[in-house]
Amino acid sequence: MTTTPIPTMEEMLKEKPRSLWYYSWKRLKRNRLAMAGLVVTFLIILVAAFASFLAPFDPNLQVLEYATKPSGFKGNVILRTNELQGREPIPVPIQSFTIQGDQIIMITDEGNTRKLALSKLAGSSESDWHKEPNYYLGTDRYGRDVFSRLMYGARVSLTVAFFSELLSIVIGVLLGALAGFYRGWVDDILMWFTNVVWSIPPILLVIAISIALGLGFVQTVIAIGITGWVDMARIVRGQFFSLRETEYVEATCALGFSNMRAIFKHVLPNATGPIIVIATAGFATAIIYEASLSFIGLGVQPPTSTWGQMIYDGYGFIAAGSNWGLTIYPALAIMLAVFAFNLFGDGLRDALDPKLKR
Amino acid sequence: MLSFTIRKLIYSILIIFGVMSIIFFVMNLLPDPARMMQGQRADLSTQNAIRHELGLDLPVWERYAAFLKKTATGDLGRSFSSNRPVMESILERLPATIVLTLSAMFIATILGVGIGILSAIKSYSLWDNISMIFALVGISVPSFVFGLLMIIAFGAWLQIFPISGYVIQDGSSWYQFWNYHWEYLALPMLTLALRPISIIARVTRSSMLDVLSSDYVRTAKAKGLSAKAVIFRHALRNALNPVVTTISAWLAALLTGAFFIEYIFNWPGIGSLAFEAIPRSDFPTIQGTVFFAALIFVIINFLVDILYAKLDPKVKIQ
Repeated sequence: MTTTPIPTMEEMLKEKPRSLWYYSWKRLKRNRLAMAGLVVTFLIILVAAFASFLAPFDPNLQVLEYATKPSGFKGNVILRTNELQGREPIPVPIQSFTIQGDQIIMITDEGNTRKLALSKLAGSSESDWHKEPNYYLGTDRYGRDVFSRLMYGARVSLTVAFFSELLSIVIGVLLGALAGFYRGWVDDILMWFTNVVWSIPPILLVIAISIALGLGFVQTVIAIGITGWVDMARIVRGQFFSLRETEYVEATCALGFSNMRAIFKHVLPNATGPIIVIATAGFATAIIYEASLSFIGLGVQPPTSTWGQMIYDGYGFIAAGSNWGLTIYPALAIMLAVFAFNLFGDGLRDALDPKLKR
Repeated sequence: MLSFTIRKLIYSILIIFGVMSIIFFVMNLLPDPARMMQGQRADLSTQNAIRHELGLDLPVWERYAAFLKKTATGDLGRSFSSNRPVMESILERLPATIVLTLSAMFIATILGVGIGILSAIKSYSLWDNISMIFALVGISVPSFVFGLLMIIAFGAWLQIFPISGYVIQDGSSWYQFWNYHWEYLALPMLTLALRPISIIARVTRSSMLDVLSSDYVRTAKAKGLSAKAVIFRHALRNALNPVVTTISAWLAALLTGAFFIEYIFNWPGIGSLAFEAIPRSDFPTIQGTVFFAALIFVIINFLVDILYAKLDPKVKIQ
């Protein structure tokens, strides 16, 4: 920690009063690990958002000849037009080719000779229809590019985690606020319900609900979202318990404003700090649940690529002692995403609550 | 004390009642089991016969009452796939889960507290920074991901430990397991311990830091006690309170949360039982294992509460 000279009274008076957020952001900026986490999180979000521009391949493009190739594999393909209108051209893996008149003679990957009319090729110049694509992280068992699938997987991970966490925040804040504000029997019933949900192993509850609701994006969001609100409800309740006693809330009630106004306009804004901290932790957990669900074959379904599914696909190769990358790369992607987010969340907690030293 | 215990007991029973209700209504949303068992082309009379046999033709409230009554007496129904009582399968798998959990918790407590104390004593040193970053990694890695990485590193690459799980053969006992097959335990135990190690280390560190800056520690230092005496006699004792809370909370969470790890390592515990039931649509088994896990969780929390009240009289008043 850097030592700054203690400001004199005059200096302090000169300084413009700033909000909690200003000081928190200043503290956060000084925390290098947290900023690193924020930058990595931001990069992952960018990759997820612009996957269709950034990914070198269509994530579902299968080149069966190139199945389970190692990282850094360089392909050699001729692109021929697809008879179906509007579809991407079909890659044909080759060893070499020669052009004779209006025909192209290719030695295919298996060593066969094939002829094709030049007019069937995609594009007019050689650089258009002859490609040597780089598979940076190799291919899976259908010859799909692992790197591209990882990029598209980030999309599923982040969107599912974001929307399910949003749902959790809404449920948790609502129940916590009601319990903490009204206390008495409302609190008893809501806390009983919270404890009941807390007692069921969350991953099993997520699995049971997603079996019950069926498979797919929305169902997965709901399954994770309606399981993960317990911590939020508890924290918000605790905040409301103490904030309710403050003079400004008393004043609001004494002036005859409605309870809803007191809750949403006066108490809730003062509880934002802890809510954000719990929400970041919940987001990281939601990424883990999404990956876990798709690992066991629930969740968002193929052909959409998700990290959990990719790990499951690679899992089968481990015992064979080959293609460990198929498991390791998506595993690293999940770890990186959750780690970066937790780093940021930790720093945020310290920044929002300076009383808590790390 | 007695009235506190009774109050807690009644509350625990109310929680279990809530758990049963949630499980029943979630399971009620599931696709029709008769259809699942017979496939799409089953004829209607067979399906209706199965529905009648399972009591699915009764109204929801009657089924709910029957479910509560049966579950309360320890009858979790029969498995759709093996037709054995679910309770019997669970009790058969319980020892494996307990062995795995307790050994993981033991390792986690020793390593977590040790790392935490060292980090607090040498706070903001290189060791502290590195171990706290590792602790955060430990929290960030999903258990199944870490399990697979362990399998790749120690099972497939270095080939130190067996990849696949221990299988109970007919006639083999836990005595034989300890003598001949303990190495099957190594990888799932370490995987399961990772998260609690990280969290216990973080809690121990911050709690120690709090205590180390307190007045009585400064007094102890000032009167010339050795660093060892200050740390172990004065600081550690007072710092351990939140650590014990964390450990007991994690014991309950681990006993019920080892599911993924058991599944990946093929460990013959309750978790594997639940996961094997999912692709078979064996709803009574899924339902039974979820309920049993929640039951253990509630019981452990009840015991921890009572223990706390005994140790710390302040708790009773709240």
